[in-house]
Formats: sequence, structure tokens, C-alpha cells
Amino acid sequence: MADVAKLIRYTSPVSPAVFPHLTLVLLGIGIFFTAWFFVYEVTSTKQTRSLTKEFATAVVASAFSGFGIVFLLLTVGIYV
Amino acid sequence: MWKFVAVFAVFSMANGLEHIDDSLINKNVQRTIDLNSQLVKIGGTITIENTGEGSVASYLLAIEDPDSFSSITVQDSQKNPLKIEQFRARFQGPERIAFKVHLRPSLEPGKTTTIIFESFFTNSLKFCPKCVTQKEKQLVKYEGNYYFYSPYVTKTQKTDVLVNSRVVEKYSKLKPVSQTDSTITYGPYTDIEQFARDSLSVHYENNGPFLSVSRLQRTIEVSHWGNIAIEENIDLKHTGALLKGSFSRYDYQRDTVANHHSIRSYVTVLPALAHSIYYRDMNGNISTSNVRTHKDYIEVELKPRFPLFGGWRSSYTLGYSVPSSRYLFRKPSGEFLLKVRLIDHVFDDMAVEDLETDIVLPVGVTDIKVKAPYEVKRLDDKVAYKYLDTIGRTVIRLSKQNLVEQHIQDVEISYNWNTHMLLHEPILLFLALFSLFIAVIIYVRLDFSIAKPEHSKKE
Repeated sequence: MADVAKLIRYTSPVSPAVFPHLTLVLLGIGIFFTAWFFVYEVTSTKQTRSLTKEFATAVVASAFSGFGIVFLLLTVGIYV
Repeated sequence: MWKFVAVFAVFSMANGLEHIDDSLINKNVQRTIDLNSQLVKIGGTITIENTGEGSVASYLLAIEDPDSFSSITVQDSQKNPLKIEQFRARFQGPERIAFKVHLRPSLEPGKTTTIIFESFFTNSLKFCPKCVTQKEKQLVKYEGNYYFYSPYVTKTQKTDVLVNSRVVEKYSKLKPVSQTDSTITYGPYTDIEQFARDSLSVHYENNGPFLSVSRLQRTIEVSHWGNIAIEENIDLKHTGALLKGSFSRYDYQRDTVANHHSIRSYVTVLPALAHSIYYRDMNGNISTSNVRTHKDYIEVELKPRFPLFGGWRSSYTLGYSVPSSRYLFRKPSGEFLLKVRLIDHVFDDMAVEDLETDIVLPVGVTDIKVKAPYEVKRLDDKVAYKYLDTIGRTVIRLSKQNLVEQHIQDVEISYNWNTHMLLHEPILLFLALFSLFIAVIIYVRLDFSIAKPEHSKKE
């Protein structure tokens, strides 16, 4: 049997207490950028469209939404 | 003659016959046979004397009834556990299980030492009559041995049989024998041969609960986000005397005192930190349960959908979550160590026929080492796909038959795991969403119209 005294108890790198707050903030930012992206796509014309701006919005939106969804799952109890 | 001896020696080696040291004798054996529950608990104190010339390091304990044997623990007189080693042996007649107890320190000539043992047997009580009606009492017959079954000569011995009721129908008598209240005392008997057998039987009232878990499937899912989810799928069977005639709900509700052998509810003990407890079966949630929180454990009172009578079955799922800090550790070397119970409490004096414990490890583990507290069968590893899984998780599967409460011990699983794997799921989601955005970016650049737009002509 391994000596328990020498072992370090493993806890999550992110405290489970902040999961709901993180979900709210990350998903909020994610949805905002997603909305911005789609609004931009439908309002811009062939001439005004800029690929860099589209990419930048897409990256920010998907990064925040991705982390937001993970924390949403963790909040509701689906420990991925 | 020598030829015969040689043949005999080879034969006995092939049978795995352990050498029985004749210099040891059981000076005094004090046995207790506890028949209060569905299990037969045989415990006792043995005073061993070394009458030979040399010191002896081991003592053999033979198990008479290997089919119903479940577990044994041996301690010295200071209650320190002694190391035991199981082997199969053929002392006399059919093959039996025996244990080699390592005496610490070894027994010098002329000296005595004391060991304490406790053994558990399942399914060794017979029902007599085999069927009872709803209102009748359940009578049980126990058949055992007057003498302590031992490969050594026994000087004196005494046996106490504990029965929970004062209704003892009949018990076999071999003088001297006496009965007080709920204890039948046999002995002292003196100068008993090796492997002595004489059938003892007690016929008495035992109203259980006779409940056995015919199959227990336990799944332990580890998440490095700080949670360990435990789920138990349990198939129960009332193993008592079969119910004769029909079941009357009216009689059952009206006369609660007469329902002796039926099982209305039982209590499961969960770890103190358990949360998100659920109790359901294939129909959905079973609402008849109660959770009581104590200082160092949680008690869940489970009531099946119907009362259980002899031969009736039920099955359900009980699950809960525990914070990872309770069972998951990190070694100074960076290795992770999961120390979790291989089987947990289901009800008091439980008997589990078949256990399978599945341990679902996180994505991307390597160098898995399993250390079981007792002998278990390791089944082939499986791969399980959970939420947001592309690679799949390794599942360690362990199985064992015939378990009792004494088997509630920790299994240790150590593995290597890269902490960056925690980002696996968020990155997966990021890529999925990002590819969706890329699809939109491409889509708006495509022109599906057949005719050129009017306004472009004017320009």
C-alpha cells in the first residue's frame, strides 16, 4: 500500500465553485462574437467584405464558445 | 517398499499437498458460530502449542466447505493482522481450500501462541420448510461440525452457537451441551483427532433479511475536472424460503407485525462527500428513498417498488458523485494514483454473488498499474466513448465472485497522464465551431444564381 501522507490530493485546476460564472462570462462573449460575425456576413457586400476581419471574429467567437460549452457541461454535472 | 514411498511422494507433490507439521497441536480452541444473519460467521481463538524440537513459522487453517466460503481474516493476540496465503489442498477426500498463516515471530519449541480468525460463509443455511406463506415464520437449518476442522490434533475445544431468536426448534446434542437464552454451547470436547467430523445441526427461526445481490456492476468514472462518478447497477434476489400461495397486499398493509421475512427497505451507506445521488430503475426515478447525512457517512434508505418475498427479484441503479480529492492522488513523481473501493456497502451483512467493477480512466492514460487488495480476475480492457470523446477512454474491468462486507477494500490504480489532455475537449469544440464559421465564410462567397443580378448590369 502506498503511503497516503506523501501523496498530494488531486483537485481540479479550476475550482468547481466558479464553473457557473465562467460559463456565463465565456458563453456571453462567445455568443456576442458569433452574433457579430453573422451580422457582418449578411450586411457586408462583396466590395466591403474583409477576410481577415471575418477570420478574427470567427476565431474569437469559436474559442470563447468552445470553452463556454465545456464549462456549461461541467456546471450541469456532465464531467467530460 | 522404497519404491512405494517414492511413488507416494511424487503423488502427494502433484496434489499440492502441504506438509503438515505434526509437532503443532491446538491446545485450546474457542469457536463462535454466529447464525444471526444470512451469513454464517465462524470465528474463534486458537491457542497453538509447539511440542516438537524446532521452531515453526507457519500454521495451516483448513476450510471445510469451500463452495460457500467467502473470506477469512487472521489476527494475532494483539489484533494485528497476520499474513495468509491461500492454496488448494487435498488433505482427505475432496479438494479443499486451505490457508497458510505466517506466524510472527515463529513459534519456538515448547511455547504457545494465540491466533484469532474470522471466516464468512454464504448460502450455507437451508430452509426447512422450503416454502412459507406470507404470515408464517421462516425456519432455517444449519449443518456444521461439532469439532474444529483442523489438520492438527486438538486438546480441548468449545463451540458457542449464536442464534438470534429464542425459537430454536431442534438442535443436535453431543454431550456436554447446554442452552442459555440465544446461545447453544457445545463442549468442552477433549483430544480430538485431525480432520474430525461429526455433524452438528441447528433448526431455528431466522427472519433474515435474506437478500443477495446476484449481480453488481459498479462503474467508476474519473474526470480530471475534479469529479469521480460512481454508478452501481444492482440485481437483487430474496434468497429466503419461497413464498407459498399468493401475496395479499391487504394483509400486508393491515398486519405489519406478521410480515416476518419480507423485505420492505434497507440502508446503503455512501461516502460522506457523496452528492448528486440518484436511485432509479428502468421505469425511471424511484421516489421512495431517504437520504440522511451523518458526520462521516451518508445513509440512503432504499425502498424497492414492492416488498420482496422469497424468490422475488428486483433491480435498480444507484449513482452518486464524489469530489476527486477524496480518491485521486498525485505522487511526487507526477504519477496519478486512484484509490477507490472495489466494492462498497449495499446493505448490512450483504452477500454479493457476482461483481464487476469497471474503472473508466480519462482520455490518453498510459502505464496503467492495478493493485488489488485480494485476488481478483482482471478482464480484458475495454474502450468507452463518453461525451465529446474522439479517442475513447480505457476501461479497467475487474471481476470477483462471492463477496461479503469484508471485501470492502481499496483497489489502487496508478497511471501517467498529461495535464494538457484537459484541453482536449475545449479544443475539440473550438475546431468544430470554427469549421462551421469557415463553412459560412465560403458559402457567402459562392454565387448560386442562374441569371446575373439586374442591378449589376446597370452598373
